[in-house]
Amino acid sequence: MTSANTMNSSSSRRQKTLLEKVLRVALYICLLGMAAVYLMPFIVMFLTSIKDVEEIRSGTLLSLPGSLNFDAWSKAWGSACTGSNCNGIAPFFINSFQIVIPAVLISTILGALNGYVISMWKFKGSDIFFGALLIGCFIPFQVILLPMARTLGWLGIANTTSGLVFVHVVYGVAFTTLFFRNFYQGIPADLIKAARLDGAGFFTIFQRIILPISTPIIVVTIIWQFTQIWNDFLFGVAFSGFDTQPVTVALNNLVNTSFGGKEYNVDMAAAILAALPTILVYVLAGKYFVRGLTAGAVKG
Amino acid sequence: MANLVIEQVKKRYGQTEVLKGINISINAGEFLILVGPSGCGKSTLMNAIAGLDEVSEGRILIDNKDVTFADPKDRDIAMVFQSYALYPNMTVEENISFGLEMRKVPKEEREIEVKRVSEMLQIDHLLNRKPAHLSGGQRQRVAMGRALARRPQLYLFDEPLSNLDAKLRVEMRTEIKKLHQKLGTTIVYVTHDQIEAMTLADRIAVMKDGEVQQLGSPQEIYDNPANLFVAGFMGSPAMNFIPANVVATDNGIMLELQTSSKARLPFPKTHSLESYVGKEILLGLRPEMITEPQHHKEGLEFVTKSEVNVEVTEPMGADTMVVTRIGNSEINCRCHPAYPAVPGSDIELMFDTSKAVAFDKDTGARIDL
Repeated sequence: MTSANTMNSSSSRRQKTLLEKVLRVALYICLLGMAAVYLMPFIVMFLTSIKDVEEIRSGTLLSLPGSLNFDAWSKAWGSACTGSNCNGIAPFFINSFQIVIPAVLISTILGALNGYVISMWKFKGSDIFFGALLIGCFIPFQVILLPMARTLGWLGIANTTSGLVFVHVVYGVAFTTLFFRNFYQGIPADLIKAARLDGAGFFTIFQRIILPISTPIIVVTIIWQFTQIWNDFLFGVAFSGFDTQPVTVALNNLVNTSFGGKEYNVDMAAAILAALPTILVYVLAGKYFVRGLTAGAVKG
Repeated sequence: MANLVIEQVKKRYGQTEVLKGINISINAGEFLILVGPSGCGKSTLMNAIAGLDEVSEGRILIDNKDVTFADPKDRDIAMVFQSYALYPNMTVEENISFGLEMRKVPKEEREIEVKRVSEMLQIDHLLNRKPAHLSGGQRQRVAMGRALARRPQLYLFDEPLSNLDAKLRVEMRTEIKKLHQKLGTTIVYVTHDQIEAMTLADRIAVMKDGEVQQLGSPQEIYDNPANLFVAGFMGSPAMNFIPANVVATDNGIMLELQTSSKARLPFPKTHSLESYVGKEILLGLRPEMITEPQHHKEGLEFVTKSEVNVEVTEPMGADTMVVTRIGNSEINCRCHPAYPAVPGSDIELMFDTSKAVAFDKDTGARIDL
């Protein structure tokens, strides 16, 4: 009786593990399928970029190239034509960095200061102020194109890198403030009180106590802002001059410029190149991004 | 060291008045405890003293200087917070010396001071740790160290022990008391724990609804509570409030208990009860004044024996709390553990009314002051 019971239970356990295995395999197939759906465009882009024009014309989208050929990449980088200018997208990379780096830094610093004030130095109407600032997160880009063009003209920075930095800072501050404010909301108010009694002032507290514990949210904000600004096309196309175009605009021009046949391999190589910095930032700091988004109060 | 004077301090948030005219003054070196239930305004008053909250009316003087509108950093105050509020990015050493650094004390002096304080609080082996790697008790010590390092004129403690477990709390309580005796500093200490208040204070301010109910030494507050609230708040278990009828007898005015035997108890200050003859009052009697019959008290003037019915017994080791009922009130009596009190049975208890107090049943005010 007893032994029969034991056998029964052990065999049912074995069946269960078998079922679990099957389910697990199904799960992985499912996940791989999903991953393939997301990766497919990139795979097609990459395969196309290393084929030559003949192969593209004769083969299918997914057919493998006969040989590894990175000519299209070097052409996209250094000698492809964007309009009448045939220096590849390299110069526009520099333009993009010149816009992105100051815009990210300034908007992050302003967001940190705003968040610090709104959550820890509340003044009369600070909640309303914050609410008003949040509206900035919901205004569609295209709505502000004309007023912003007028503003930039009036400030004398139309068609310049500074102008684009200005636009991105203005647009970014709403988000960065939201990020920092929510993070600082979780920091105990006693910390500020203690520092005030210790004799520290507004900026000393910010610099010595608040900033050093803000690393997770700083990383989140930088990744977010970097991605947003790097990938921006609309502001770039609307407010840049001929020699201050960001890489996204150059990419568009490159694809739209053709002498003779369409060079899909060069287009694809250029598109991948233009996406690399954001991918790189995420790969390098991605784990902080996830951690920062879920980070709660700082334990004292 | 400095004295502290709080004059007619009021604090309003919009329409609600949180502090309704607080008057407290303590001498240099005194240990003042602000005690009261949640929402009584004790923390608001503390923040007002620290300068973290502006007062709406009144004056605050530290060391005879008016600091009502002074910035927190100019008041020469240090505070220990309930949450400890240690700077998470700094080591213990940096936490302790931060205030000194802000006051531009040279590095060598800061190091000496950190050494002195950390040795005094036995945290010198933790100086290089971050607060996240400390236990609750260690954080508590660091928080105190941070306050002590500056040698301010006035220390504020905002419920510093309430995040510690029971055993550690008792230990730290003793340590704070020792520290105060050794340093002789002026301390204002907020707590809702009446045992902390009794054990630590030179003077206690019992607060309720933004008003000071009574300001006095622990013993005064314990023996002579100003009203029903203070009497019920201080002491554990709380003072018994026994409904009693004031009756005029041949032996003068007596208090008749609402038991089956209608026991009559004498009262020390009977003249104060004259206007209450024929009415019901509340007799305030601490649990330790209701005991098993004790030989050495037999025949004393204010001692009466009476039979009561036992509802529950709660042995505490040193004593056994016997819970009985008189009228509608539950009564705690502190009896010897060997005294046979069986729930449900009638036992004889000795009521010592020599320190009894009387309250008006409706207003809760002391009658016999």
